[in-house]
Amino acid sequence: MSLRTKEGFYGYLFILPAMIIIGVFMLYPIVMTFWYSFTNYNGTEQNKFDMLFVPEDALQFHFGEFMEDLIPEDSQRLEKAFNAISLIEFDIGVKLSEEQKASFSNEYFKVGDLMNDFLTGSLAEQITVKQFLERYLTGKGRNLLSYQPVFTGFSNFTKAFKDPYFWTSLKNTLLFSAIVVPVQTLLALLLAVAANQKIWGQKFFKTTFFIPSVTSSAAISMIFSLIYTKPGILNQMFGIVGIPAVDWLNNPQTALGAVMAMNIWTTAGYFMVTYLAGLQQIPASILQAAQIDGASPSRIFWKIIVPLLKNQTIYIVTMGIISTLQVFDQIYMLIRNLRNVTLSYYIYKNAFEYGEMGYASALGVVLFILVFVVTYVFKRVYREERVVKEVKR
Amino acid sequence: MYVVLIVYALLSLFPFIWSLLISFTPMTYTDDRGIERGVDIMEWPPEMDLFEFPPHFFGAPATGENYEEVFHIAPYGRWILNTLIYASMVTLANLFFDGLAGYAFARLRFRGRDLIFSLLMATMMVPFPAIIVPTYLLISDMGLINTFMGLILPKVSMVFGIFLMRQFFLNLPIEIEEAATIDGASIPRRAFSVMFPMARPAFITLGIYTFLNTWNDFMWPLIVTTKKEMFTLTIGLNFFKGSFYTVWPYMMAATMLMTAPMIILYFSSQKYFLEVNVSSGVKG
Repeated sequence: MSLRTKEGFYGYLFILPAMIIIGVFMLYPIVMTFWYSFTNYNGTEQNKFDMLFVPEDALQFHFGEFMEDLIPEDSQRLEKAFNAISLIEFDIGVKLSEEQKASFSNEYFKVGDLMNDFLTGSLAEQITVKQFLERYLTGKGRNLLSYQPVFTGFSNFTKAFKDPYFWTSLKNTLLFSAIVVPVQTLLALLLAVAANQKIWGQKFFKTTFFIPSVTSSAAISMIFSLIYTKPGILNQMFGIVGIPAVDWLNNPQTALGAVMAMNIWTTAGYFMVTYLAGLQQIPASILQAAQIDGASPSRIFWKIIVPLLKNQTIYIVTMGIISTLQVFDQIYMLIRNLRNVTLSYYIYKNAFEYGEMGYASALGVVLFILVFVVTYVFKRVYREERVVKEVKR
Repeated sequence: MYVVLIVYALLSLFPFIWSLLISFTPMTYTDDRGIERGVDIMEWPPEMDLFEFPPHFFGAPATGENYEEVFHIAPYGRWILNTLIYASMVTLANLFFDGLAGYAFARLRFRGRDLIFSLLMATMMVPFPAIIVPTYLLISDMGLINTFMGLILPKVSMVFGIFLMRQFFLNLPIEIEEAATIDGASIPRRAFSVMFPMARPAFITLGIYTFLNTWNDFMWPLIVTTKKEMFTLTIGLNFFKGSFYTVWPYMMAATMLMTAPMIILYFSSQKYFLEVNVSSGVKG
């Protein structure tokens, strides 16, 4: 083998495991999110196939007769009265799609076997719906063995359009991002500039500011839920300056703001370190030269420091946008009010509490597009602004 | 300048100090006259006496009982174990897979390399909540709900890890590898015995970053674990939250217990934490 082919072989070999994992758990879910968003995928219905039930009870319901009153000779009569679809849908309680029902006919169900098992009393044990159906369905009837979502076109999106909670969660998500990203970026920059002097204890400040970002969002949420309680320390402090006590997290007016403040507190220090590293690369001579030329501190800040930190700013704002638009943990831990939740939380709620996975996927598509559009627009605007400035010069 | 920095440092530390104090405060205590007294942790200003032994916060002598109690009222030990398994397995897997892939993307030439890499970079922007439904259904169809496999599997390789490792390998001098090639070393030998040992700092950085993120991970364990025995620490924390009334000293003890290891890790290997932050920041 030539070196070239060897490199090719090992190149593919080395990336293979990572590509499989990313393909299966990243690319495939992306595609499936789009597909599910056009279906009525329902997690609750799907789970029913794994539900335990007693076939004997279901059959007694189905025929409206009790075991004790039946004799083996009733088999023929019961077979005639038997209706598989109605047994599955009404007596067991599993919903079937129209397509599943259309493809089914009685010849795919081993009615004889079922009656035999039923009348000999061998169906008194609990089994799952799937196990039961596997035993008696044949041929095309096996279509009924698993849950099948139905393609519903854009109905999930029209549903979202009319869903006031979707609009509220979208509005909250955008508000969250629009407030948290600029504030945390500016705060990080100010702290970095403040710490970039030749001062005693620079390392201490850097270390301290970073601590919140190594703490889990769950732990931080609990710490803040204590601070935010009505008799809590925050209200005590505010009380000193005469601000009346508020139940920060349970009041729909203040809950989202409280979570935003907490979020800024968590990340500002982290990004401050990014800015500080950038600042330390700016040669002191540039700043000194500007000072000698008589530039005011605010002029130095806006005209020299901010433009030189462009790379850091792009990174910090992009990361900020991506993370704030999908904020979930803190909302899950702290917010008990559907008026204050974000899109990510509403996705979770629909998928895992209401079982509406098709709808949740449609909301996922919205989130997906939102993150891409906002990030793209930001990068576009930032680049253009730079071009305009350069042209003006 | 100092004022700003000191105020913000206090602001950063205060919530932790406050929680720490409460985690050591008993619910009730017996005073000098043998009378049982309740403790009000919301009392303001708190009655502190730090020069006594044990010190008094909120008027009551400090105690470690809350920490013990946390292990009694919840399977907290089990949660620590779960989180340790989850975080270390994910970390080990990432070191191996991301290291290999990062090396290949940086140093081996193969058809479609740059296209594949830019495709990977584009997926970094995908918000996890957007793809949570198919990811969950996949794991659920594999029968991996409430298993370590289900927790770990989707996380064993990350795009960011590959990016980080590639970046590091790109910055290593190519001459060393060329010398190894002339000496007749095969590609796997070059990777495993020459490049990987040199990439030790990058592996440590990636390892710490992954461990921290997995330890603190919330949304995925929340969905994959439904049984109390399989919870991780972040999910278990909700257990201490009562629906009407939260016992704050227990809650804070549980919070401090899960936070402390990460803060210790941070203090002991600060330089690597800052490495992730800075290297991604400048080039991002």
